[in-house]
Amino acid sequence: MQPEAAIQPEPAPAAKALTCPSCGGSVALRAAGYTVHVACQYCSSILDVTDPQVKLVTTYSLHMAELEIPLGTRGVLRGVEWEAIGYLQRSENGMWAWEEYLLFNPYHGYRWLVKVRGGWSLGETLTVTPDWLSYDQLGVGPETYTHFFADGEAQVDYVLGEFYWRVAVGEKVATADWVRPGAMLSREQNAHEISWTRNALLSPAEMQKAFGIQPQAKIWPPLPHQPSPWGEWLKTGAMLGALAFAFLLVFAIFFGGTSWTAAGNFPVAADGREQSVTLGPIVLPHRYQSVHLRADVPQLENGWLDLDYSLVERTTQQVYEAYGAAERYSGSDSDGPWSEGSRKAEVSIASVPVGTYDLVVEYKANRWSGVSGYADAVSWMDPANAPVVQVEVRRGAVYASNLLIALFLIAAPLLLALIWHIAFETARKSESDFATSDEDDDE
Amino acid sequence: MSLHFPCPNCGADVVFRSPALPNRVCDYCRSMLVRSDSAVAKIGEVAALPFDVSPIQIGMRGRIDDKGFEVIGRVRWAWTDGAWNEWLLLFEDGGNAWLGEAMGQFMLLWQQPIGKVRSRTMREMINGKQAIPGTEVQIDNRKLVITDARDVVCIAAEGELPFTVSTGWTLYSVDLRGRGGECATLQRDDQETTFYQGHYVTLAELAPRGLRAIEGWALPAYAA
Repeated sequence: MQPEAAIQPEPAPAAKALTCPSCGGSVALRAAGYTVHVACQYCSSILDVTDPQVKLVTTYSLHMAELEIPLGTRGVLRGVEWEAIGYLQRSENGMWAWEEYLLFNPYHGYRWLVKVRGGWSLGETLTVTPDWLSYDQLGVGPETYTHFFADGEAQVDYVLGEFYWRVAVGEKVATADWVRPGAMLSREQNAHEISWTRNALLSPAEMQKAFGIQPQAKIWPPLPHQPSPWGEWLKTGAMLGALAFAFLLVFAIFFGGTSWTAAGNFPVAADGREQSVTLGPIVLPHRYQSVHLRADVPQLENGWLDLDYSLVERTTQQVYEAYGAAERYSGSDSDGPWSEGSRKAEVSIASVPVGTYDLVVEYKANRWSGVSGYADAVSWMDPANAPVVQVEVRRGAVYASNLLIALFLIAAPLLLALIWHIAFETARKSESDFATSDEDDDE
Repeated sequence: MSLHFPCPNCGADVVFRSPALPNRVCDYCRSMLVRSDSAVAKIGEVAALPFDVSPIQIGMRGRIDDKGFEVIGRVRWAWTDGAWNEWLLLFEDGGNAWLGEAMGQFMLLWQQPIGKVRSRTMREMINGKQAIPGTEVQIDNRKLVITDARDVVCIAAEGELPFTVSTGWTLYSVDLRGRGGECATLQRDDQETTFYQGHYVTLAELAPRGLRAIEGWALPAYAA
């Protein structure tokens, strides 16, 4: 029995040779069967190859452009080998020119290699239509794109090589673009059809490896779909910084000191004279530590209490002093009742050396006679109130300012990166037709 | 169930694999043949296929939706701005579908009964109205958009086919496309209208075996 299907044992040739009817040059057809128009590589004349009889569409005798990637060059991009078969120079009505190479692989179809301001992208025509997510956002699968360019018009300025449509110099399409970090979604529209292309940004290293393109100097302002080099760094850095600071904080709280303990209660004299008590002993075990003192005067109302603390070492008589005051006022006016101040006062003494201390508290209670000179019927210092001062003490090994210094050291590089990131994003977005003053972005 | 006959024109062995596909082009003399109960008749000739670098060829096998298929026929269509291939796939269960190959992209399309199409716009097109690209059409609760509409001409064919073709046969063809890669085609001539529905596929999704070898190009990893 004969084989049911005639499978060709010999591989099919990859290219077909044509003769340019204009200049007689030999033109290689690399995507035979798909290609519609070929621009002769010698004279740039455009040939129609849809019929076996090659037809001359437009005669040119232009000098062949020097291409960075000569047509026929192959390179492997993201795992697939591609051959450059067509080249277009396009512009926005003569301005902001860019270049596009048409890549072909018989098993993978077509891709675009687009060069804009020195940056390269690999474009693939979509077979799905994007979804509108909001007035300025489009979704393609899991990806979200933000509107960047609107109402553009792209024209073809120069062509070389072969294309799967009737290419013509001067041909115009309406364009619009949406971006996300690393990719751009481009819409091209003419009277007959709308096509969508997803352009993935290629790194200079990828282009160098695939087509030997020398990396260019920094592109500034950044490309619309260029991810901020600080973005990822910031995310990781902020996370690590937060972790480090949380660790320091936990460390400071759990290992750095003690909790508040009552040092003593003492009464406030009704006549407001200066009083003094000695509390203690307070034992400080570490070589140096901070000592935090907190006074609470629960009956305090329309008055204040001055507190002079002295930590006196029992043997050396070394004195460490601090001053605190609690003040609290209240009343009522046309806006209703009001109050200000606090019945509590907290002070700290930094770097107190090891030792056994007495805490001497000198205090004086005062009473406020009110703005109008009208005194409350009953003063807070009245013995009927039995006013007292409660003093609590806490020692800490890590002084809060140390934590602040740590926080600053952690935050400084992040802050710097954030400034660079914002500068990058601002410059990137300044190119957009939707540039806004809002610099916060897609973090 | 394959039936072998000698070609009535050149005597070469020709095979018919499915009762649903009584038409084929002789591989050797390019005669358009039609099989009746016991005989094969030549009803015309088909032009030779122009050279192309399509990765598909007659005899290629593959698998989609867990059903194996073999490529057994092809029609090449042209319009004013280019040409494309429609490959006929014969599935294990006897069914068939078309694999449209245009601009390096692939569409898998199954013929649907025309009566199934209820959309008013589509019915109007079936009844002879011109399609307007950009128009939205509801098919099976999905929105599809008319992407293009044009006259197409058959320029060549090979292998087994569900209909007879002749070079120069002209159809009015309307393509539709959906958001999720769905696609549909309506083809109409003065005799009848046919409707095909399906979706875009990649070559890799077809798990192809026996892809056409093309000089200087490595077969993709999935087909090697």
